[in-house]
Amino acid sequence: MRTPHIAIAALACVTVAGCDQKLSTLAGPTPNLEPTFASVQSQIFESTDVVGRQACVNCHTNVGRTPAGGLNLVHGVAYDQIVNVVSPRKPGAIRVLPGDPENSYLVQKLEGRAGIVGVRMPQSGPPFLTDGQILILKRWIALGAPRN
Amino acid sequence: MTRPLAIRLSVALLTVLLFAPAVSAQPADDGALKLAEPDFTLIALPTALRLPKFGSAFLVTHRFTRPLGSGDFGDLAADFFGMDTGAQIGLEYRFGIIPSGQIGVLRTSDRQIEFFAEYGIFRQRPGRWLEVMALASIEGGDNFKDAKSPALGAIVSRRVGDVAAFYVEPIWVNNSNPLPKEVVDHNDTFMIGLGARIRIRPTVYIVGEFTPRVSGYRPGSTQGGVAIEKRAGGHMFQLNFGDAFGTTMTQIARGGPDGSNWYLGFNISRKFY
Repeated sequence: MRTPHIAIAALACVTVAGCDQKLSTLAGPTPNLEPTFASVQSQIFESTDVVGRQACVNCHTNVGRTPAGGLNLVHGVAYDQIVNVVSPRKPGAIRVLPGDPENSYLVQKLEGRAGIVGVRMPQSGPPFLTDGQILILKRWIALGAPRN
Repeated sequence: MTRPLAIRLSVALLTVLLFAPAVSAQPADDGALKLAEPDFTLIALPTALRLPKFGSAFLVTHRFTRPLGSGDFGDLAADFFGMDTGAQIGLEYRFGIIPSGQIGVLRTSDRQIEFFAEYGIFRQRPGRWLEVMALASIEGGDNFKDAKSPALGAIVSRRVGDVAAFYVEPIWVNNSNPLPKEVVDHNDTFMIGLGARIRIRPTVYIVGEFTPRVSGYRPGSTQGGVAIEKRAGGHMFQLNFGDAFGTTMTQIARGGPDGSNWYLGFNISRKFY
């Protein structure tokens, strides 16, 4: 009789394993942000945070203006503008290098790292993206930056 | 899964463990002092010592957070070997609720609370070389309001006369990574605790333990330490030196801050039976 009890206990324990830290606690002002392109597009590129971080498409758009930095992040074209695309401002830099968030120029610009051309994004910041938001963006890139 | 549901399942788990029939129970032996295995913990790892039904035990863990190698010996002495600095403190209480089965709770000063249950499956006796105990625990940060990390494991021990006891403890910890699973490669840790307690004088012991993480989430350094301890009646006083502060399963799985530093600590335990 002992073995079934232990097995049930083990099963119950595994079931409990779903109590992970919620992603929303990491996503901060964009609680619905997930490591998918659709989520990054809607929550980061197209949305202004409740804390005041400006949407990327305020400047990176071809609607009524020339996209800032030659980068157009409006819906439907953003993916092809960033993934495996060389930055025109920094020769050799790839905006999003699938599987390699640390060497993706988009991440470097959002984190304001040394060596970037121009200023940290968003240009109107602070507030900038939070560490949690950037971590989720990095995760999407680390997963291969799929068009999902 | 909602948190209330998780809590209900946790209670169910502990209940199942607690009311499992004690096939191998020999309660008459469990209250007697085992000279080779006098306490319920090594330094942080559990032992296979059984708690008699309705017996209990209390443990204080204290880990000073000043690295012993910081500065010269004069600096260390000036800080009274780390005692002037902060510490991670834990309070544990365990209770024998059925023969061979015990439950307990450990709360550490980083607001982590761990509930655990242990159940003796096999008893070492002539013809059976090993003692085996099942271990299950669940813990959560921020006073058990944060994410929950369950753990399952076994404590396999071998006592050698009244002189020594050796331990191998395979343990799986779920949600060991503090980040959400959506943004990490590994969210679990499988580790194997290795430990020994050797009686060098009638009431003095040398203890060592080392818990390599075999797979999964393995940040920082592997937790390990050595200790010297003195048994005095139902008390055990232990002075330990380790490279990490962990006392709960998740803390052990997360390892130490830097493998090059050692820290002073102590345990004080008391049996009530």
